[in-house]
Amino acid sequence: MNPLLLFLIPALPLLGGVFNTCFGSRLPQRAVAAIAVASVACSFVLTVFLWSLGAGEGTRTVLFSWLKSSGFQADVGLLFDPLATIMTLMVTGVATLIHLYAAGYMAHDQNQARFFALLNLFVFAMLCIVLADNLLFLFLGWEGVGFCSYGLIGFWYRKAENASAGRKAFIVTRIGDLFFAIALLWLFRLFGTIAIDQINGRAAEIDPQMLTVLVLLLLGGACGKSAQLPLMTWLPDAMAGPTPVSALIHAATMVTAGVYLLCRMFPLVSLSPTGMGAIALIGMLTALYAASCAVSQREIKRVLAYSTMSQIGYMFFAVGVGTVSGAMFHLLTHAFFKALLFMGAGCVIHLAGGENDIYRMGGLKQKSPLVFWLFLAGILCLAGTPLTGGFFSKDAILLTAFARGDAFFALLWGLGVLTAGVTSFYSFRLLYLVFLGAERQNEKGHELSPLMLWTLPLLALFGLFGGLLNLPHLFGGHEWLGHWLGQPVGVVLPVGTELGLLLLMLIFFVGGWLIAHLRYRTFPGDEQAGWRNFLLQGWRFDTLYEFILLRPYRLLCRFCWQGGDKALIDGVVEGLGQLWMHWGGYARRLSTGQIGFYLQGFAWGFLLILGWFLLMSVK
Amino acid sequence: MIVPLEHVLFLSAILFMLGLGCVLARRNLIMILIGVEIMLNAVGLTLVGASAFWQQIDGQIMVIFLMAMTSAEVSISLAMVVYLNRRKGTVDVRAFDEMRG
Repeated sequence: MNPLLLFLIPALPLLGGVFNTCFGSRLPQRAVAAIAVASVACSFVLTVFLWSLGAGEGTRTVLFSWLKSSGFQADVGLLFDPLATIMTLMVTGVATLIHLYAAGYMAHDQNQARFFALLNLFVFAMLCIVLADNLLFLFLGWEGVGFCSYGLIGFWYRKAENASAGRKAFIVTRIGDLFFAIALLWLFRLFGTIAIDQINGRAAEIDPQMLTVLVLLLLGGACGKSAQLPLMTWLPDAMAGPTPVSALIHAATMVTAGVYLLCRMFPLVSLSPTGMGAIALIGMLTALYAASCAVSQREIKRVLAYSTMSQIGYMFFAVGVGTVSGAMFHLLTHAFFKALLFMGAGCVIHLAGGENDIYRMGGLKQKSPLVFWLFLAGILCLAGTPLTGGFFSKDAILLTAFARGDAFFALLWGLGVLTAGVTSFYSFRLLYLVFLGAERQNEKGHELSPLMLWTLPLLALFGLFGGLLNLPHLFGGHEWLGHWLGQPVGVVLPVGTELGLLLLMLIFFVGGWLIAHLRYRTFPGDEQAGWRNFLLQGWRFDTLYEFILLRPYRLLCRFCWQGGDKALIDGVVEGLGQLWMHWGGYARRLSTGQIGFYLQGFAWGFLLILGWFLLMSVK
Repeated sequence: MIVPLEHVLFLSAILFMLGLGCVLARRNLIMILIGVEIMLNAVGLTLVGASAFWQQIDGQIMVIFLMAMTSAEVSISLAMVVYLNRRKGTVDVRAFDEMRG
């Protein structure tokens, strides 16, 4: 098979996006959606056909040289290795389903051309991240994803809060991007190349302390994109976008980009124990923080947003404890069930007549049993119900952490188990509030389009049975994903320990479920309490940032504006003008308009010159 | 040369100062023009004197040109004086101060 065919994978969504940008507004809306769906679906099919190219060492192929200047070279080149293969397959697959869903969801929107063009470009940018063989090309996709998310989150820009949510996402992720850009330049300076495989191959050559700083910089970049502490505030607000966008951003793409970057650079990252510790710590703290916030959220999509943050935290934790296959495994299962949950949430919002608040839902099971069962599948995966995909992937991560054995990781492991319990609690809380109990919504619901409904079962299937991808030996599997990624040796623990840990997880899962069951089986009424508001507002991080960052920044801006621009620059310029106006006023009196006066001046001047010459000649 | 050059120069200097004094002191436009004429003729006299002194014909030629130019200038200036008189009904220079700053 010709490796150059690989370029079609990102090129097709790009073509679809560009085509819709140029001609989409003149085509019927159905055609626009069809083109968008077809382009992504084609690249999915292509990925399946080209699967074999990714085995083993993978395929590296270059289309042309993008930038070349003495020692510096950046190619438009793809690295189709096992990691990229599995990620590409997931991105294109889930994106295809989301595009299909979006075709139904956006059927009545006027701006479908803009929407689908951005959606396609988003997929293109994500595929650039996944497939790039050098860091600059990856950075192109990295920024592209940021831009498209800005356009999509603020898609309904006529509402000011949507537009500002888009801006917030853009700016906050940009802070992370800055770290990544510094790391990129630094890596080039150290190695003289930006090719990922070369950097990874020669990572051992450099000074360990410098390596730690580099890893922390990369972590900063990943934190921005993946909404980890302390750059996580944009994610809940990003729910302002249309639901398919939330599904695309929070399931298949964007937020997983940070995890993917760390996996991509894992040979480099893994050389720094401090860096690994920091990654694990940030991941686990975010997981716990986000889970606690999800407990008291009222908007259905915000619950899911915080749960995404929490699950991404688990993935970071997995990278931190050194299991790329664990991180990727969780990334895959999470992509499936989170896309399912988001699109299910879109259906729920439609059914509830545009209502977002889960306190005003309830009893939706009677309205649409199918949506209930599908949503239940997603919730079960999220909560880590035994034998679902989410259970296996989360368990693999925590198992690896437990096996590390030292106190630091043991503590993080404990937090992880606790978080799993909290996750189970808020998942079932969501389920109970939305689908069970009495009906509480006033609005009349809309009909669901079949396109929206029938993309979900496939995802539910993948989510529930995603565990088969990397089934541990304990359950008679072969850890296929680990083998494919070239990380076959997982952790080896005595069977008794492993069973004990499973039991512990089960206890926490059931505990979370029981608490949710007891409290939310019937609607407890609007809950108002100080600590709930605290959690509702995400531990008031927004207020904190307002105080420690925005206020000083605004003060600085005010100083630059009032002090620097108005007082100093304007003062000098206007002052000079005033000065000349003043003195010009005196000079103006000389110009009387009287010929006699002028002629006198003439004569006096003449005399002066004459006198001067006389004086000179006398000397 | 019967008349010494100094005398010619003195005369023309006196004439020039007279003309200048007339231009500066008078307020009547026509009188100012006359002053200008006197100054021009003073210059012409100097040229003629110098021409005679150095036995060079150029100075006298220049004076011929000067006369032709003066006649043209006078006709234009007088036309303008007539025009200005029509506009304001006076030939007093103090009336024409539209160029005041």
